[in-house]
Amino acid sequence: MKILAFGEIMDGGTSVFSSVAKVDGDLLIVSFGGSIRIDNPYRYLEQYLLDLEQLLPQENVGRIELDVKELDFCNSNGFYIIMDITEMIINAIPGPVTVKRLKDDDWQQETLPILLNVDEPEIGGRIAFQEFAEI
Amino acid sequence: MVTEAELATTSITMRYDLSPVRNIIGDLSGLLGTFSDELIGAFYSKTISKKANIVITELVNNAILNSADREGKVILEIAINKGILRIRVINTADSSQYRKVKSQIDTINSAGDLRELLAHTIRERRKDRLRGGLGLIRLAAENKFKLSVRYRAPYLVIDSEIGLGGLS
Repeated sequence: MKILAFGEIMDGGTSVFSSVAKVDGDLLIVSFGGSIRIDNPYRYLEQYLLDLEQLLPQENVGRIELDVKELDFCNSNGFYIIMDITEMIINAIPGPVTVKRLKDDDWQQETLPILLNVDEPEIGGRIAFQEFAEI
Repeated sequence: MVTEAELATTSITMRYDLSPVRNIIGDLSGLLGTFSDELIGAFYSKTISKKANIVITELVNNAILNSADREGKVILEIAINKGILRIRVINTADSSQYRKVKSQIDTINSAGDLRELLAHTIRERRKDRLRGGLGLIRLAAENKFKLSVRYRAPYLVIDSEIGLGGLS
């Protein structure tokens, strides 16, 4: 497994959010963790988005796993960056997408599918959710 | 031994009154949301405490950003009693700000399909990269809170309420 790219939001000198993109064989694993609370997450994550955009076409991957279980909180200002990252990945790799999420988390259950654009048949047909209980 | 069901009948009331708003420079909404999440989570399920966290974070953040008088106050009241969670946030506002919030809440409360309203609003606002404007819809569509607003000049009062029956 190799790490492809890494993005992070720092607040008050502490890492409050991170996302890592890893490649394992033909599988791209992108995990999200922490909280997005700041007003302008692009200030920290734009380079991550650009790195992914540049590096993904060079990889021979056919499946995607998005893991949001550790994403504790996402304010409404964070919606667009999550949409930009996931949309870019889903468009770049035309394979099945597994989304790992918590079954008792309102935002992961209600809003995340909207951000992933599952209502679009072409995208919704590729996405399968895996539900997890919070420990 | 206290059972989980008994714990979830605990009555909790919290009130924060902060002024002047200009002194609030840190992530107060996050602090209050996280603390309330922990405290409510000591008695109620994580599903309920997380809902409180999101509502407090969004409403307090809005209140701080939109306070008309930077010398004024922001008030947060949280109450869980008899199976209902109520969160009230108060900040200074002028009448035009009130009309804007009222219009948004009227739209939310008259929407037939809140999920579609949230999805449509996200798509429309994303086109122009507009910040804000999603918080209230989110609280209703995602977290299932009932919202209302009043204006008692110079204070804007937003009430959010959810019945806890069926939430585990």
